[in-house]
Amino acid sequence: MRGSSIVTSTKARRRIPWGVYLVLLPTFALLAAFAYYPALNGMVHSLFEWRPGFESPFVGLENYLTMLGDDLWWASFRNIGVIFVWAVTLMWVFPLLAAELVMSLSSERLRFVFRTLLILPLAFPAVVNVLLWQFMYDPRDGVINSLLRAVGLDGLAGNWIGDPDTALVALMTIGFPWVASLPFLVFLSALQNVPVEIYQAAEVDGAGRLRRFWSIDLPMMFRDVKLLFVLAVISVLQYGMQAHIMTKGGPDNATQVPVLRMLDAAFLDTSWGYAATLGTVLFALTLGVSLVALLLGRKAGA
Amino acid sequence: MSRARRTNLVAGAALSVLAFAGLFPYLFMLAASVKDNDQFFASYWSPAWPVHLDNYAVAWEQVSPYLFTSFVVAGLAIAGTLVLAPAAAFVFARYRFPGRNALFGLIAALLMVPSITSLIPLFVLMRDLGILDSRLVLIVPHITANTVFGIVIMRTYMAQIPEEIFEAARVDGAGGIRLFLAFMLPLARPVIGTVALMTVLGVWNDYFWPLLTVQTDAYRTIPAGLAFFANQNVQQWGPLFAGYVLASLPLLVLFTFLSKWFLAGIQGGIVSGK
Repeated sequence: MRGSSIVTSTKARRRIPWGVYLVLLPTFALLAAFAYYPALNGMVHSLFEWRPGFESPFVGLENYLTMLGDDLWWASFRNIGVIFVWAVTLMWVFPLLAAELVMSLSSERLRFVFRTLLILPLAFPAVVNVLLWQFMYDPRDGVINSLLRAVGLDGLAGNWIGDPDTALVALMTIGFPWVASLPFLVFLSALQNVPVEIYQAAEVDGAGRLRRFWSIDLPMMFRDVKLLFVLAVISVLQYGMQAHIMTKGGPDNATQVPVLRMLDAAFLDTSWGYAATLGTVLFALTLGVSLVALLLGRKAGA
Repeated sequence: MSRARRTNLVAGAALSVLAFAGLFPYLFMLAASVKDNDQFFASYWSPAWPVHLDNYAVAWEQVSPYLFTSFVVAGLAIAGTLVLAPAAAFVFARYRFPGRNALFGLIAALLMVPSITSLIPLFVLMRDLGILDSRLVLIVPHITANTVFGIVIMRTYMAQIPEEIFEAARVDGAGGIRLFLAFMLPLARPVIGTVALMTVLGVWNDYFWPLLTVQTDAYRTIPAGLAFFANQNVQQWGPLFAGYVLASLPLLVLFTFLSKWFLAGIQGGIVSGK
């Protein structure tokens, strides 16, 4: 393209490197076919009675109206609400405690050893973790009931994932004490980044362990905690693998979650348009949370 | 006893309890994987002799096809990702051209689309293309997802590499392609490793897609395959746990030798919303 455009400003125009578009072409072709197209197609077909392979009539907002009256769908949000609250309280307390304990060790080697042991479960596939916990809950041979029987508490032994009253708690307890997790890694690196001088100054001022935690550690971690909070919302909206392996949303829908409801709509009820609607709503919620977090982050940063 | 030593002891004891609690299911799995059913009930809480390695032979029969498919899917997904992502990231990091920011924004925006919310339309697309129940249907989504993630992190990495390194080569008359292949690719090895590792983690943790798109048993990757395996071996405790161990080994090896990249992969994967 050299010389084809008239230089209008005093600054000489840069030559356009046309080759770069050629380099980007295959990537965008792939993304167009397998990322943009399906994402948009899902949104479009949320307005249709989608019958793949056949003619799909346009139904306007009917799927969305169906969703408003779908008790299972709303029950699934109640469940992920419970999971969320659990995820940002109990599932943070143990990692936080562990991070504080690791940092209070004076030997660098011990820190490394414990850190490694604590995160080692992360090296196992998530599915193995869930399947092992499924065994832990086994009514006859599982670890929990065996332990209860061994200490003479036979009466407490239960069918943990088969009982609607305990199924959700059982699901949430998978991975206890949850130290092999992103929150632990985040808390630990946040604590490692606190300058030693601050601790020394606190010690001179006579601040105790707890005081130090409230006045130094927590404020220093605040930004990371906000990020973890947003990630927790996003991941709870996508929660599903554990529930599908252990309970399939049962018993009696006690562990129904949005992702499973969406998949059931498509693969059990063959209501593809309705499933596309639920997927679109889940996407909109995720996007909304991300954008709100981004805006708040920018405001706080300014 | 000094205060520091007392702190060490208390913290060490508490951490040992936490570490043991976290590792307990895995320790139980290891011990039970070499017991026969009699030993399983007779010495439930402790390891038992003699060791029954034949459990592993039984489990290998069933789990090895899933391992093989997982390796194939991960390998080809990495190959596909590495053909596309580094070159695209190089272009975004090192060239100025009209539409650069808009095009990069289009790619980064895909980080905000969780794979699960596009699962339904993607499934219909694969159905229309007639490639359900194949290895290809498993590979493509991993290439897409990791290309997006790869371009974003590789671009940042490549932009940080000082221009001086390239200038000498440019003076010698090296073109863009040579600069990329001979200079940028070797320098970008760490970030390429991270993306490759993330791809492996993705294949080992993606549950719903292989579960829904594949029926042929040998085409199942580890997550869907192992869930199926668990249902096939109810109450066969030894082989069951041996199968879980076999399925975990590849990730354990990666964790042992590449723990830094491994952790970066986990953090990156969660941050990117996968």
